[in-house]
Amino acid sequence: MAVFWQTIAGYNAATWPLQALLVVAGIVLTTLLYRRPSPRVKVAMKVYLALLNGWIAVAYYLRACAERPYSEVMALFWGVMAAVWIYDIAVDYTTFERTRKHDRIAFVFYLMPFVYPLFSLLRGLEFPMVTSPVMPCSVAVFTIGLLLSFSKRVNLFVILFLCHWALVGFSKVYFFGIPEDLLLASASVPALYLFFKEYIDLNFHRDTKPDLRVMNFLLAAMCAALGVFFSVTIWQQFIG
Amino acid sequence: MKTAAELKEIAQFIAEYATRLMGSGVHTSRVVRNSKRLGEALGVRVIVSAFQKVVTFSVCDDDSGEVYSEVADIPPLPISFELNAELSALSWEAYDRQMPLPEIRARYAEIVARPRLDPIFTLILVGLANASFCRLFGGDWFAVSIVFTATLLGFFLRQRMQARGFNHYVIFIASSFAASMYASVALMFDTTSEVALATSVLYLIPGVPLINGVIDIVEGHVLNGIARLTSALMLIICIAIGLSCTLMIVKNGLL
Repeated sequence: MAVFWQTIAGYNAATWPLQALLVVAGIVLTTLLYRRPSPRVKVAMKVYLALLNGWIAVAYYLRACAERPYSEVMALFWGVMAAVWIYDIAVDYTTFERTRKHDRIAFVFYLMPFVYPLFSLLRGLEFPMVTSPVMPCSVAVFTIGLLLSFSKRVNLFVILFLCHWALVGFSKVYFFGIPEDLLLASASVPALYLFFKEYIDLNFHRDTKPDLRVMNFLLAAMCAALGVFFSVTIWQQFIG
Repeated sequence: MKTAAELKEIAQFIAEYATRLMGSGVHTSRVVRNSKRLGEALGVRVIVSAFQKVVTFSVCDDDSGEVYSEVADIPPLPISFELNAELSALSWEAYDRQMPLPEIRARYAEIVARPRLDPIFTLILVGLANASFCRLFGGDWFAVSIVFTATLLGFFLRQRMQARGFNHYVIFIASSFAASMYASVALMFDTTSEVALATSVLYLIPGVPLINGVIDIVEGHVLNGIARLTSALMLIICIAIGLSCTLMIVKNGLL
């Protein structure tokens, strides 16, 4: 627990100007993706996401969090995500086409990386020992928001990884007492539902079973169960 | 008495029927029994010689002494117990009602055209099944949920690689590595991480070839049985390679 916050403090103190630069670049590219979604902007966003994931792998896990056990494994995970985005640039899989269906919830997700440090400050923590917008969970929640807004064709592997990461974040609430990570866990449930619903609607074949209604019902049931599970945990955190 | 053309037609249908059964995960003696039963229903004697990749059929008309032989490849199909049960039932129906070949063919076409399981549905079910394994082997609820999401990642990778036509063994190594690697996050927490790691690859265990291999040997199809067990063993080695890579990375050793 102490090592966890010390490594975060060290990371923030050493890299805050670069983090600020990454945040500005993210805001500019996201705005451009909404206003002028040209092929160049789309490629630039993919490059940015590859860079962001690579940054988490190298600057955060390999350098700043080297003291933590299994930080190399975490670096590998985020390195794989960076590689997935580079592969995406090569094969042009993610189209970044705006669906306009989930704009409101996506906007909430965009705000989350900034809510993370506020949450820490409200808990009485002080800079540099606070969560920042360029940390794994903040990057995950930003990616979820981005992919929700441009969800016409998304890479399901990225979504599954982000859900896996949300579960890891959720576990940190229990094991390390970091309530900030509930933000990602709570956001992942509606996101999981929307992504899978979209994926099922797009990829559903008439020659497969069960039918579309059953699939949607099962998906809703699974996400409702997850939602109840997370809500109970949040409630326990509040009363505890 | 059957004409040469009729014999050819029967042999070709039985070859298609039997290779579909073999490809869908049926053990050899059941395929032989079903094929012979279908032959009896159509008034011919069927002799089957089954191997791992091909099946040879001889259809004999005892009245005329005419024999027609057919060799067919066994296609790699997804394992489907539902399809196997329905095709077996078809052979009984044909035998009991003495159905003519066109009617059997129409029923067969109807059965094989039935909808398959949706890949996303399969993905979620496999995730839940593997998570249940984790619970059965003593994993706590956190380990169960880690195994669920790790299995989703590993199985999704397997589905995509299969769709792109990667080598079967490479797929098993990659899926085993991915699932166990993602399950290894359990090591960060005070949980049943060993159970999570060990059970994360169980969805890849080739249960059907293992069971069919043993049944084949017990029922006298020794060559086929050994071939099935050997290919199952190869897949288990691939799973072990994937899991070993994870252990070497996360624990600096295999134990």
